[in-house]
Amino acid sequence: MISIQHLNKRFGTVQAVNDLSLEIPAGELFCFLGPNGAGKTTTIKMMTGLLRPDSGTIRIGGFDVQKQPVEAKRIMGYIPDMPFLYEKLTPVEFLKFVAGLYNVAPPDLSGHIESSLRQFGLQEARNALIGELSHGMRQRLLYIATFIHTPKVIFIDEPLIGLDPHSIRMIKNLLRAKVRDGMTILLTTHILALAEDIADRIGIISDGRLIALGKLGDLRTQSGDKGSLEDIFLNLTASPEPLNPSTPMAFEALAK
Amino acid sequence: MHPLTAIWIKNWNTLCNLRRILQRESIFKTVFILLFAAGMVGGFFMMFLNGFQFLANLGGGGFMITRRLFSLFFLGLGAMLVMSNIITSYSTLFRSRETLFLLTAPLDTRTFVTYKFIESTLLSSWAFFFLMIPFTAAYAWHEKLGLIFALWTVVFSLPFVFLSGALGSLISLAAVRWFPRSRLVWGAAAVILLIFAIRAILQIRPVIQEEATFILNRFLPGLQLATHPLMPNNWTAEGIMALTNGQWLRGGMLWLVLVTNTALLFLLIQEFGRRIFYTAYQQVTGSPKIRRRRDELLGWLDRLLAFLPHDIRGMIMKDIRSFLRDPLQWSQALIFFGLLGLYFSSFRSFHYNEMPPIWRNLVVFLNIFSVSSVICSLAARFVFPQLSLEGHSFWILGLAPTGMRRILLTKFFLAALAMVTISAGLMGLATWMLQAGSALSLISIGLAVAISLSVSALSTGLGALFIDLKQPNPAAIISGFGGTLNLVLSLGMMLGSILPFGLIWHWRVSEGLADSLFIKANLIVGLWVILLSALMVSLPLWLGIRSLKNREY
Repeated sequence: MISIQHLNKRFGTVQAVNDLSLEIPAGELFCFLGPNGAGKTTTIKMMTGLLRPDSGTIRIGGFDVQKQPVEAKRIMGYIPDMPFLYEKLTPVEFLKFVAGLYNVAPPDLSGHIESSLRQFGLQEARNALIGELSHGMRQRLLYIATFIHTPKVIFIDEPLIGLDPHSIRMIKNLLRAKVRDGMTILLTTHILALAEDIADRIGIISDGRLIALGKLGDLRTQSGDKGSLEDIFLNLTASPEPLNPSTPMAFEALAK
Repeated sequence: MHPLTAIWIKNWNTLCNLRRILQRESIFKTVFILLFAAGMVGGFFMMFLNGFQFLANLGGGGFMITRRLFSLFFLGLGAMLVMSNIITSYSTLFRSRETLFLLTAPLDTRTFVTYKFIESTLLSSWAFFFLMIPFTAAYAWHEKLGLIFALWTVVFSLPFVFLSGALGSLISLAAVRWFPRSRLVWGAAAVILLIFAIRAILQIRPVIQEEATFILNRFLPGLQLATHPLMPNNWTAEGIMALTNGQWLRGGMLWLVLVTNTALLFLLIQEFGRRIFYTAYQQVTGSPKIRRRRDELLGWLDRLLAFLPHDIRGMIMKDIRSFLRDPLQWSQALIFFGLLGLYFSSFRSFHYNEMPPIWRNLVVFLNIFSVSSVICSLAARFVFPQLSLEGHSFWILGLAPTGMRRILLTKFFLAALAMVTISAGLMGLATWMLQAGSALSLISIGLAVAISLSVSALSTGLGALFIDLKQPNPAAIISGFGGTLNLVLSLGMMLGSILPFGLIWHWRVSEGLADSLFIKANLIVGLWVILLSALMVSLPLWLGIRSLKNREY
């Protein structure tokens, strides 16, 4: 469903993504892990067509993102880490707008929206302005909006930021259910427990390179570490100069 | 449903929610803004009407100017629209958060750019109508024209607005695509060359000119350009007059010329959207995320201020660096003050210094009014919310071994220093170019200093009194009760200081106010301005310091 071949992207002197190749079949939940600045968001932005790769190709559902952007976007959904919502619209108006944008006209759009709002616990807020909703409510609304055109592929950048435990459980169950229905999901996260919990396969990226790929067991083999995902991750992406708590910091010395 | 239809329905829904949005705003603010806008439109109408009457009193020459003034007016408005659309297009196309959302939707870039062009043109055209309505109304009133004149004005103005907007959007798109940051100098050079080339082309005119036209062109710079047959503003002005006078063929032809040119530019916008927008967007978003900077911006200034206590120096440097690294702040200040500076420095080219004293007086006081208005709006926009915008990092200031009094006074002195330097400098330039005389120059500069000090203190003090550390959005901070009160008091202070002096000086030149009475009146009003400024500086600062000291963090 997602096919990436020799992807490269450079920002000035920084090689953000370095010869990345990846195949993700339909109905898989793929988790992209990596330290800050490793190239996860840049890769997602290239997959959604927001950034143009310097070289390499990306195909979503068989459509080349650069050559057939509209066709590719029609079958994908994207939830960024800091999403934009129209604050001066009500949730119902926003959902109808998104449905129009994707040219989705199910026979009973209003009924579909109502049931989705009920399912996500937003029926009380249906007539409030989005600007008046809490962060958790906005996130849930965004999930409804993303699923409204029943995409085949979804990209999610940090799906659980700022959510309470109830919302986290709901989102996790929802994502698993969608994958069971055949949807392909690629998400990035720093919460390693989430990846361990729900991912079918995990990819670890560091300095723009894919350094490990596979199921948890595969990653253990690749890294030679029998521990948890956290141990594997830290082992693979080890910083060259790890912080030593016993070393006094420079400014402590200054203060003395 | 076509995506564009969905977008327009969304915009319509947003408009329908305006009532609810206004309910969340302060009623005081809404009523004040409406009254202020009505007052401004009324004031502009009276000013334009007086201008037309003055020209009519001049006789033949005045009549000729009046006819050409229409073209000149549309030239000015058109240039303003092009300029503002360059900026608005850039922010709506490349910097708006909506762009990211819409670009992940199945929307081709041609449709997206078309929508954004219409949006930015509508956004930047409010000032056009705000000025055009009183001008055309005054003209119609003076010339006793019927309602049909208003209809033709609307019929011509709409394509004119879109034509000017399209030019701005095209420049913006082309500049981002072909002249990215590193090639900015080359871009600026190309634009300057282009302006000279256009100017050279437009100067190819019939050698034989009527003597009156020749003199008029010498007297009013820009008139030649404004009345050039290839200029869209001329098609607009001439077309409105032709249709009003029943010249259907000429008027219809000019309207068609305007509409076809607008349609051509519209097609170009769509083509730019299809061909260059995506690459241009990559130029903006694909540039290095972490730019190489010096370790310390303005390190020399930091060392220069070594004589100041370390906490005050630290706050000053933090605020200056934050200001310089926020293009929104310095670009707005630069645009407003730069345009005023350009305008003031061209007074002698416009022969304003040779005007009769009554007009020179009027120009001087209008200049104080415009400089003070900019000071008020910038203080309301940037100085008032600065304490609130410390936001979650306010604890750094709160825990630092310094007092709230010192923090607030430092912010006040820094704002005041900047405002006083700029406003006094501008007024000095304006009065010098107008050859206004030492007394009037002194009063103008004194007024600029008094208003700058008062407005800085008001914005700083009320910003502390109505501090909202939870609100990260500056627009929301300034649209609350505190922000509105600050704007109202600042404008009140401005009018309360300028109007009394303006009236005295107007009576002096129009009614011949006696010397002794004139001097006494100046002294009394001077004392009033000093007292008013003292109150406006001390009271808000005292209230702000008291509020900050009693506050829990």
